[in-house]
Amino acid sequence: MQDHVIVRLEEASKYYQQGTMEVRAVDGLSFEIHKGDFAVLCGPSGSGKTTVLNLIGGLDAPTGGKVFLEGQDISLLSRSRISIIRRDRIGFVFQAYNLIPVMTAYENAEFVLTLQGVAESECRERVMEILKEVGLEGLENRRPDEMSGGQQQRVAIARAIVTRPAIVLADEPTANVDSATADSLLALMERLNHESGITFLFSTHDQRVMDRAHRIIRLHDGKMETDEVRN
Amino acid sequence: MKIRKMAWRNLWRRKRRTYITAFSIGFGVLLSVTFTGVADYGYTKMINTSAVMGLGHVTIEPRGYNDTPSLDKRLSKSDRIRERLMQMPGVEDALIRIMGQVMIASANKSIGGAFMGIDPAMETGEGNLFIRSIVEGQLFSGPDAGGVVVGTGVAKKLNLGIGKKLVYTTADVNGEIVSEIARVTGIFKTGVSEVDGAMILLPIDRLRAVLSYEPEDATLISIVIKDQRRALKIRDMINSSMGNPSWEVLIWKETQSELASIITLDKAGNRIIQVLIGLLIAAGILNTLLMSVMERTREFGVMMAVGMSPLTLFRLVIMESIWFAILGLLLGVIITIPWYAFMYYHGIDFSGMIGSDYSASGVIIDPLMKIRLFRESAAWILTALFTLTILSGLYPAWRAGRVPPVESLKEL
Repeated sequence: MQDHVIVRLEEASKYYQQGTMEVRAVDGLSFEIHKGDFAVLCGPSGSGKTTVLNLIGGLDAPTGGKVFLEGQDISLLSRSRISIIRRDRIGFVFQAYNLIPVMTAYENAEFVLTLQGVAESECRERVMEILKEVGLEGLENRRPDEMSGGQQQRVAIARAIVTRPAIVLADEPTANVDSATADSLLALMERLNHESGITFLFSTHDQRVMDRAHRIIRLHDGKMETDEVRN
Repeated sequence: MKIRKMAWRNLWRRKRRTYITAFSIGFGVLLSVTFTGVADYGYTKMINTSAVMGLGHVTIEPRGYNDTPSLDKRLSKSDRIRERLMQMPGVEDALIRIMGQVMIASANKSIGGAFMGIDPAMETGEGNLFIRSIVEGQLFSGPDAGGVVVGTGVAKKLNLGIGKKLVYTTADVNGEIVSEIARVTGIFKTGVSEVDGAMILLPIDRLRAVLSYEPEDATLISIVIKDQRRALKIRDMINSSMGNPSWEVLIWKETQSELASIITLDKAGNRIIQVLIGLLIAAGILNTLLMSVMERTREFGVMMAVGMSPLTLFRLVIMESIWFAILGLLLGVIITIPWYAFMYYHGIDFSGMIGSDYSASGVIIDPLMKIRLFRESAAWILTALFTLTILSGLYPAWRAGRVPPVESLKEL
């Protein structure tokens, strides 16, 4: 249903100039992501997975076509407007965690809420609840260098979902952790998807992620190869 | 987390670099305080010394006297003017004087010189450098007593000693040549050879009689004030409360334009040095902040990806430069206090290098270099360094907000 569409790509393209060569990272791609999806973008290196996430997240602008987030064409928005959309409607989880090193787990999770101007008491309530949900209760005051990779990625997930975004874009979230940690992170995200209805879109090579996904969009040379929906 | 807290923590990512930058700001405080404090002290000392050499910080004199001094130009009822001046706030002393050119002769030699007619009852060493500098004998006893006090140079040239007689010759109020004999009661030594070799002090009433002046006539009233910086205000106050079209009220910059020029020139040189110091400090801060921004490109990309606006990022880096400024200024104050205290109470004595009678424009320069920083100078230094530090952060802050997040995230 149109109402449940969170992301829509219409013939979206992203071309780069590499010397005299034009590289077509994304080439006329069209698909939709619906509310509650637990979807995966997969494909070999250079197939355009990360570029698609960047286009959806407003980190990069399409060369052609359109990218809609909750019905709004984000390719037409100003830098400051896009940053507000990213702050309020999108959660990011990166491969390398990318936590802010001078902040504790609590402060990292709280960071986006602070940018939103949420009152301190509400921040505290929401952050503590989320940290508990991602299994980091008691580790609030640890800095990133005092936590394992898995714990850091949990903080990154907490940071991504604490604002109750429309979608969480996760770029290779399991690439830097061991398989046990990867499984537990995936279980966590699956549970958040199930219980809280948070929409996830992953870019990954990881078979474990694909095994849990409800939908797999396979890319090759910036084009869609297959779009498989599982029950 | 608030921006200021985050900026503060960012400062301590590289402690050594932060300390070095903060110390460079602190060192800037020390240098600026030294340069400005020495100037504040030195200029004040020069102006005050010059003031007690005859003309005061502010002078009331007949209109036109400053341009073409002449004994026929005179103030009348000077005692009454003095009385009113002494009631003005900020006025320490008002001294009635007659000043002019004179020919001084002993039994076998004569020289050109200058005289200052003074009332010994009114004058003390505080407001008169010549009295303070008497090295032999004493000041004549009263305004109408006989006697003369001469400089060491005059005494030497004319072979005079205490009790010896001299003849001074000048033109009276009508332009007639008049002479009188006076016996030397004292000899002074200011250290300025051109002054010691030309100046004599005479009792004012006796001089009035010689010059055919009326009892309260004088060529000028020399006003010594508590704070030389208030000379203009005092002048305006005198003009507004008791101005008279036959006089003019001049400040030391007008009566001693040569000294004013020397000070202006010195101040300009001082400013250039301070600007250069400021630029060096700014370059250091700019370098530190720029390096710190470049190192965090990826982190800034992440911050922007999760929703931080370029403006907030700009504010974050500016906040870091504000912290640098606060830290640097605090360190500056801490390292400057002992140095300031030493220079305030003891100073550095350069008499071994320049001698004790070094002078410029007829004014003795104190060979003891001390520091006295005016409150406004201290405020100016702190404000200038604070502003400079923040300005140095503008470019790095702008750079931080300009990096496209997608490019930053690619960096490792």
